[in-house]
Amino acid sequence: MSALRLLSSAARRAPSALAQQRRGYAEVADKISLSLVLPHQAIFTSTDVVQVNLAAATGDMGILANHVPSIEALRPGLIEVVESGNASKKWFASGGFATVHPGNKLTINVVEAAPLESFSSEAVRANLQEALKVAAGNGSEEDKMEARIEADVYEALQHALGSK
Amino acid sequence: MLARRSLARIATQPSPLGAAPKNARNMATLREIELRLKSVKNIEKITKSMKMIASTKLAKAQRAMQSGKQYGLANSEIFQHTPLETPAKRKLFIVVSSDKGLCGGIHSSVSKATRRAIANTEKPVDSDSPIMVIGDKSKVQLSRVLAKNLAMSFNQIGRDIPTFADAAGVADLIVKSDVKYDGISIVYNKFVSAVAYEPEIVEVVGENALKESAGFRAYEMEDDVTKDLAEFSLANAIYAALVEAHACEQSARRNAMDNASKNAKDMIDRLTMQYNRGRQAAITNELVDIITGASAL
Repeated sequence: MSALRLLSSAARRAPSALAQQRRGYAEVADKISLSLVLPHQAIFTSTDVVQVNLAAATGDMGILANHVPSIEALRPGLIEVVESGNASKKWFASGGFATVHPGNKLTINVVEAAPLESFSSEAVRANLQEALKVAAGNGSEEDKMEARIEADVYEALQHALGSK
Repeated sequence: MLARRSLARIATQPSPLGAAPKNARNMATLREIELRLKSVKNIEKITKSMKMIASTKLAKAQRAMQSGKQYGLANSEIFQHTPLETPAKRKLFIVVSSDKGLCGGIHSSVSKATRRAIANTEKPVDSDSPIMVIGDKSKVQLSRVLAKNLAMSFNQIGRDIPTFADAAGVADLIVKSDVKYDGISIVYNKFVSAVAYEPEIVEVVGENALKESAGFRAYEMEDDVTKDLAEFSLANAIYAALVEAHACEQSARRNAMDNASKNAKDMIDRLTMQYNRGRQAAITNELVDIITGASAL
């Protein structure tokens, strides 16, 4: 799938200046309108949020209100949404696109995502072993490529779960 | 005068085959009516159960459609900010229908909308614009009129709630094919209400058109992901259309089966009445025979 193909061009450069910052002072007045949607579920539809941290293919980044319009491909990783104050919710997403539109709107289309709490690290570890075995095995090139992508996703998941 | 009398004599002569028993005609008709009645009752049972099945499928399909619509709206946001200066000449039409029938006018509505769009004089498109059809029913209808435009067709989609994997597969095949186009129009049925639907055309901007659009240059991209964005948006748009069309099809099938059940019920009432009248007439005739026979003694 095209969403998974994006991952193979991932280059993890140094995080950009706005990465992982959290405003510790007074309540933020400016919010950005977020639409975080999955094919089978709409998590946010035009909800005003303070900050969104994304795992873009070009590096981790944070989006605040009045961000410059930009298009980012997402690699499998965490999406963290700060709605107000310090409360933030995390989802692990498989990949997709995040677009900041002129007019202070952020739309994120991802193929699959789930709250970080709902993942079990044992299952992740077991599946990672499986995928690495197939990737190093002697199947067809396509199968090995798919297993390599699978293994990358599980590694990202482990990283996300580890740094909870 | 002589002719008239001879005619009358011929009419009263018994037929060479021998007189048929008096009640034979009534019995044959009664048997026919009984057979018809049985078959219409069976049909009523079938259409009633199809209506039930369609109702339950409709409930699920509507829930999936709600999220699918939001997904499609978020996806099409970028196309609203990147309009084309010159409208696309060579459009690829993706017609969304399905393989199954007995759903009212679903398939013919998208086929007609496609034909109207190609014949449109206000916003002209190339007359040999390629068409790709999802679903055998519309493929058959379009191949009768626009056979030379048909580029590709897909089937076995729409048996159950469409998934993103279906849409991604379709988008993948479209992108891998050699079909040339400036823009893409997806023709599908929009869900207006549980009893109404109407055909709708959604525009998807292709990779080259995105690059040429002035609005697109306002967006910053660290790496050039235009191609990936175009393919991903196409899959998203196809998914949103598939899910909505599926919901429309289930609601149309439910309404069609509902009407069929009502008609079958009316037919059953009418036939039952006819059957009973015929039965009573036969009994009355037998009684008349017996009584005239008895009174002749």
